[in-house]
Amino acid sequence: MFTIRVNGEDHTVDVPADKPLLWVLREDLKLTGSKYGCGQALCGACTVHVDDQPTRSCVMPISAAEGHNITTVEAIDQQQIGRLVQQAWQELNVPQCGYCQSGQVMAATALLTENRSPSDRDIDEAMSGNICRCGTYARIRKAIHKIADEQL
Amino acid sequence: MSTSGFTRRQFLRVSALAGGGLLVACGGGGGGGGGSNPNNPQPPGNGGPSDAEQFTVSEFMRIGSDGRIHILVGASEIGQGALTSMPMIVAEELDADWDLVTAEHSPVAARFNNPYFGGLLQFTVASATTRGYFDNQRQVGAAVRQMLVNAAAERWQVSADSLRTERGVVYDDLNGRSASYGELAESAANQPVPSNPPLKDPASYRIIGQSKQRKDAAEKVNGTHLYGIDVDIPDMLTAVIARPPRFFGQALSVDSNAAMAVPGVREVHTIPSGVAVVADDYWSAEKGRQALEVSWNELLAGRTDSNDTRDEYSFKLNLPGVPIRVDGLVPVAQLAAAENRSADYFFPFQAHAAMEPLNVTVDYTGSKADIWTGSQSPTLDKTFASLILGLLPNQITFHTMSSGGGFGRRGNPLADYVRDACHVAKASQKPVKVMWTREDDMKGGYYRPAAAVRVGASMDNQGNITAWTHRAVTQDVTASLYAEELLDTLAEGQLPPFKELTDLETGMPYDIDNVLMDAHLTLKPQMPSLWMRSVNKFTDVFAQETFIDDIAVSYSRDPYQYRRGMLASKPRLLAVLDAAAQAANWGSTGGGRSQGIAVLNHWMSYVAQVVELSVSDDKVITLHRIVSAIDVGTAINPDLVVAQVESAVIFALTSVFYGEIELQDGVVQQSNFDDYKMLRMFQVPQIDTVVLPSNESPGGVGELGVPALGPALANAIFAATGEKIRELPLKNLGYTLAEQHPA
Repeated sequence: MFTIRVNGEDHTVDVPADKPLLWVLREDLKLTGSKYGCGQALCGACTVHVDDQPTRSCVMPISAAEGHNITTVEAIDQQQIGRLVQQAWQELNVPQCGYCQSGQVMAATALLTENRSPSDRDIDEAMSGNICRCGTYARIRKAIHKIADEQL
Repeated sequence: MSTSGFTRRQFLRVSALAGGGLLVACGGGGGGGGGSNPNNPQPPGNGGPSDAEQFTVSEFMRIGSDGRIHILVGASEIGQGALTSMPMIVAEELDADWDLVTAEHSPVAARFNNPYFGGLLQFTVASATTRGYFDNQRQVGAAVRQMLVNAAAERWQVSADSLRTERGVVYDDLNGRSASYGELAESAANQPVPSNPPLKDPASYRIIGQSKQRKDAAEKVNGTHLYGIDVDIPDMLTAVIARPPRFFGQALSVDSNAAMAVPGVREVHTIPSGVAVVADDYWSAEKGRQALEVSWNELLAGRTDSNDTRDEYSFKLNLPGVPIRVDGLVPVAQLAAAENRSADYFFPFQAHAAMEPLNVTVDYTGSKADIWTGSQSPTLDKTFASLILGLLPNQITFHTMSSGGGFGRRGNPLADYVRDACHVAKASQKPVKVMWTREDDMKGGYYRPAAAVRVGASMDNQGNITAWTHRAVTQDVTASLYAEELLDTLAEGQLPPFKELTDLETGMPYDIDNVLMDAHLTLKPQMPSLWMRSVNKFTDVFAQETFIDDIAVSYSRDPYQYRRGMLASKPRLLAVLDAAAQAANWGSTGGGRSQGIAVLNHWMSYVAQVVELSVSDDKVITLHRIVSAIDVGTAINPDLVVAQVESAVIFALTSVFYGEIELQDGVVQQSNFDDYKMLRMFQVPQIDTVVLPSNESPGGVGELGVPALGPALANAIFAATGEKIRELPLKNLGYTLAEQHPA
């Protein structure tokens, strides 16, 4: 049994210690916004915040998630910057298939929370772990700059 | 451009909704018109299905008494924006309030089939959604608008001609009154369906041509948008399938003891493609699969080897293939030429690698089934499902889910992943989600097939091309796309002129008198291949457009001007070529930067692209700018058109730099994104897209930006270094891609 704090609520789950946080979120807590893309921390589709740090939940065993504050895309609108990211993404028609976008939103929110005026270099460093097969990168960059320039 | 009035494939059924709305069903399709006389559009409530239950299945549009309009879309949302652009077309002719329009995937039913495919299939491939459904969606919108107007005219006892509509409201300007569509919906349902509703002049469009926000954007950034992988039904189990190391191997013996001992594992079933481990959840299933011991019978398994394929295809380039285009007398022109030259090209297998790995959920009870999956080919998927499950099509409810990327992989006419899931469900008799891991997806076959191309040209002593030859060696399903123009002609409902039967499309647009194109359509049933975004154009156009530069440069001709000189009879191609050159400041780069250009027409659209780059001595490429100019005819949602081109540029860069699946004695060597790399944020250059205004019929957009990017890039490398790129991916030639913003 493991107790994890997700989006401000405690949840106790009876799962093996090595079950990745991603699958606990998706299967046990029915929070399917975080996506499975690679299972090896290579693509970023599963990105959640663990104590405000962007984290690949597909390689984090549930045993390591205990005692930490976990935020998923379902609750990122509780943060002002998360809300701004979601709005800018919609305004600029960033999503295409959209599958990677919850991970992109989580990574961008973490970046802008840490750095309210990121350079292109900063964006490259923060966002290059998130693959978008539809190739929405240019719009993601534009949206991040737009938020930083106009709203932060 | 479009014809107004309903063709024999289309008719509308309309009825009042309980609660005062209007329900519109659009008949269509070549095989399931519901027993109606296809030559007589049915008046409402007369002869067609009349009870609400049936309409719930066949509905196309619902106008609520609150004015909300809900539209069902027959094309699949794979990221291209079908659930936004299709309803825009309907809403335009309907004069709807766009803010009140919502959309979702239609059921899988003949009336939602794409007219482009003869009304036979729901099939989201070949960039055919907008160009296939455009006329029919306009007619539906126009007919319903007319019925709303007629209802208002009846209510007010005035002539319908004296009324106008705007944003979901009918106005009687003379008498200063108005009524919303929601108020009129119920009485409109009793109006006869106009058989020949007037369509708008494009000049008065107010939705088509506007850059609207995607209807699915909000859900796609807050985690609530549901993909197939997110489906969760009561008592659902999760399965993964252990597959043989080589395609089409068979399980010979299975020791499931260790797998069944894994907590959570419920069942192990041998199915034709492998051995399924069924468990309470994904993690248990995956651990069960790792514990499974299977010995495989590989006597009949595929033994495709990348190196052997290359040797085989290179040899076949020396042999004549099936002629696909014959103009003039190539041998005579070759004899008379001042110079003949040729070049051979080779392209490897590539995986689509959509971000959402394949998955299917099946709830099969023995007498009926529900199936949920992201699919580009729901009609054929459902057909295969009914064969495997032993059910009639009307016993299966197929839920087309949004796809986390498709690129052709979810449009498999053989329905491989749906068949697998149905076999598992049939064996299990319990609700089950069959999951593919990334590794399953990467190793699962149905790749863009390897291809070899030989292009040849004959020149007079001025460097003018007098003859052109093009020979392609590629595999079955992809080779069928050489019939692109034939498909286009048939889709128009005409028999093609005789010449077009031999004038099949390879994407060679230039004015050259003597042309010989042939192809080896190699059958490799043990090597599953499939179309991938832009299909054969990716390879054929690469060879053609790089070879054009090879010739141009050796005769000291500017590659842009050289192309111009051969496109005098192709004004739309000429226009995009000029627009791209102008936007890219062609010819005026400095500072060690080089440019390359390429052009093509594809699915009735036109594109030219310019890549600007520099190359270091150690072959590190810095991309500076990529410019695309496109003419797609009527652009329904220009911002989404631009997004598709941006997407295609990134997709093509990934293919050109990295895209390679290697097979050694039948075993796929790549497994995940570490050895099958994708372009990432730090490598993405400035991308500019120019959309030329046009009121022509909509052309295809989804694939348009892919094929010319590679040759434009290779031509820029050629200009920078003198190296002629004759194979892909570039990583194999020692090239790497620089960071855009180095520290």
